[in-house]
Amino acid sequence: MSRVLVAMSGGVDSSVAAAMLVEDGHEVVGVTMKTFCYSDIPAHGKTCCGLDGIMDAKRVASALGIPHYVFDVEEDFTRDVIDDFVSEYAHGRTPNPCVRCNSNTKFRDLLSRGKALGCDRIATGHYVRVSHSPNETILLRGLDEDKDQSYFLWGLPNEILPWLLFPLGKLTKDQVREQARQLDLSTADKPESQEICFVPTGDYRDLLRKKLGDVHPALEPGEIVRSTGEIVGHHSGFAGFTIGQRRGLGGGFSEPMFVLGIRPDTREVVVGTRDELFGTQVTVRELNWLTTPPQADAEVKVQLRYRAPAVTATVIDIQEDLTLSLGAAQPAITPGQSAVVFCEEQIIGGGRIV
Amino acid sequence: MSTAYLDHAATTPIRAEVIAAMEPYLWHRFGNPSSSHQWGQDTSAALENARAKLASAIGASPSEIIFVRGGTESDNLGVIGGVRSLAFAFPNSKPRILVSAIEHSAVIEPAQWLENRGEAELRTIPVTPAGTIEGELNTANPSKLPCLVSFMWANNETGLLLPLSEVCEWGEPSNVVVHTDASQAVGKVPVNVSELGIDLLTATGHKLGGPRGCGVLYIRNGIQVEPLIFGGGQERSLRPGTEDVAGAVGLAEAVHLAVSDLDSASAHMEMMRDRLQARLLRNIPGLRINCGAAPRVPHVLSVGIPDIGDTGVFLTALDLEGVAASGGSACHSGANKGSHVITALYGPEDSLSTIRLSVGRDTTEDEVDSGAKAVTTVWSRLSALTAE
Repeated sequence: MSRVLVAMSGGVDSSVAAAMLVEDGHEVVGVTMKTFCYSDIPAHGKTCCGLDGIMDAKRVASALGIPHYVFDVEEDFTRDVIDDFVSEYAHGRTPNPCVRCNSNTKFRDLLSRGKALGCDRIATGHYVRVSHSPNETILLRGLDEDKDQSYFLWGLPNEILPWLLFPLGKLTKDQVREQARQLDLSTADKPESQEICFVPTGDYRDLLRKKLGDVHPALEPGEIVRSTGEIVGHHSGFAGFTIGQRRGLGGGFSEPMFVLGIRPDTREVVVGTRDELFGTQVTVRELNWLTTPPQADAEVKVQLRYRAPAVTATVIDIQEDLTLSLGAAQPAITPGQSAVVFCEEQIIGGGRIV
Repeated sequence: MSTAYLDHAATTPIRAEVIAAMEPYLWHRFGNPSSSHQWGQDTSAALENARAKLASAIGASPSEIIFVRGGTESDNLGVIGGVRSLAFAFPNSKPRILVSAIEHSAVIEPAQWLENRGEAELRTIPVTPAGTIEGELNTANPSKLPCLVSFMWANNETGLLLPLSEVCEWGEPSNVVVHTDASQAVGKVPVNVSELGIDLLTATGHKLGGPRGCGVLYIRNGIQVEPLIFGGGQERSLRPGTEDVAGAVGLAEAVHLAVSDLDSASAHMEMMRDRLQARLLRNIPGLRINCGAAPRVPHVLSVGIPDIGDTGVFLTALDLEGVAASGGSACHSGANKGSHVITALYGPEDSLSTIRLSVGRDTTEDEVDSGAKAVTTVWSRLSALTAE
């Protein structure tokens, strides 16, 4: 039996993960990370601790007979995730805060506190598999293709890998819900959380306005142009756009228009037809490898956004940056999003698309 | 794993005698004390007997005892009600509030709120780890404004006893009202309101073997306090609402018992506290006993521990070792923010992490020894990680 620190968000996935670890005979310690202060949201009242997720997690932990604690990681989370999120949009890119959180905040914090608490392992409710051997720990896609969350985990620091347990990696979401019902967990039928956890209003532009102030280039009107330079409309702030977006471009086009690019210097949003949206090459920065990195000319699989299929690619160059040539042209290759490199089911690593 | 509950300053178990005293009023002696029939007369008598019992235990008259819902409510009524009453009495000057820098948030928050609303001016008076006020009081209100002073009898985070007689002698009696939060003092050190000459005093049941949610505000005869809630006129209109007879009976019984066996219980707690203190001093180099050179209540041990970083992690690790303690005060659990009390006493740059261990009347040597062992174990682990 080992002591396992499990991150519990109050949702069904991490609840079941904790329950499975208990069932496996581990000494389980539940923890909920308080990532940001909810005091700005009137509905949540004055206190940060009255948060629904924390209370749900406490109820589940109590039902499982395990201790539960709240870790305040607000300061780190604000610096590493929220500030980065805002800065990326301000620079015309589309951030991926869940990747930032996993890479910088959640797992690092879990590990350091896990060590302090005398734990042997740390666990979360991610749909991803982990395989431990004496020489190496490898991460594999979750078996449920719809839920697989390996896309978000390429940035994990290497020293964390041997500590990881992912109890849900071999389950489907339906099986997880079924487990939750059998265990009579109060969170069994809780709806899936879709929005970004620190954007409770659902509109990230509210957060940008709050953080950047009302007068900021990213939130000021600009021109919508074709790649030829022709002005075809106006927008109310480029931070409201992401590559591949159709909404918000106005009408009057003879065929559907998509965002092809954002030029923060001139505040232009470049649009074009669906054909123009495709690219055959991608450059990736801030690389992190969970195992031996691929070499030049190697053939790999790369996934360019969450839920997109991995496509075959060839390594053109790998140094500070990684440049990949895609086997088939891909739509909406978006700066700021992650490019995650796989070898079959195994996550090799990844980086931020530039 | 041997467990040890060393958080009696957060709350301590209710005593069997208290439950026995309360039981009839939770059940078949149920009348509303305001009713004139026999059922009401029965509980009304119980309520008044409880009032008299409590009053006598702290040197007060029964008419000076107002039953309220716990210590926080008592503090709020004392501070806000006291200030508003001064405002009525002195319509031409805005009252001043003087609080020590180490007050409980149940005093600081209402005082701050009054200042934010423009109803009073708040001054915070520094206190040293030796328990001295250093003449600040004399300069805090040079214009002799009507003034509410709130200095706690014993600090909840460190156990520090404040020089209350000094505070009570300060200022002009005609325009100064002195309140004290004695939640951690009653039942631990002798508390006699008439000897001290205090105007308002707060105490609460669950810190001394009584029921949760039952508190008292002592209001010296002649001192006016404005109510915060309004209703049927119970408790001299200062705490309207159908009385909690069982709670009042339990609170009075608990105070009576705690005061009756104060000498032996205090001696026991002090012995346990000192045993714990000696073991920790021996095991952990660089350990600081907070306010260790000052007079303290017998049940609280506050220690500054080197090289452990976040107090919250330390307490969590300690809990997993089976030992309950707290980081300063228990009221901010989960937030892990630095304690305003430790900051006020040792400065914002204090490099030590403070935890509070507190013993109760039934704490055993075994519990103390398990506690000392667990604190040492966790300190070793965390300081090794910090050094990495």
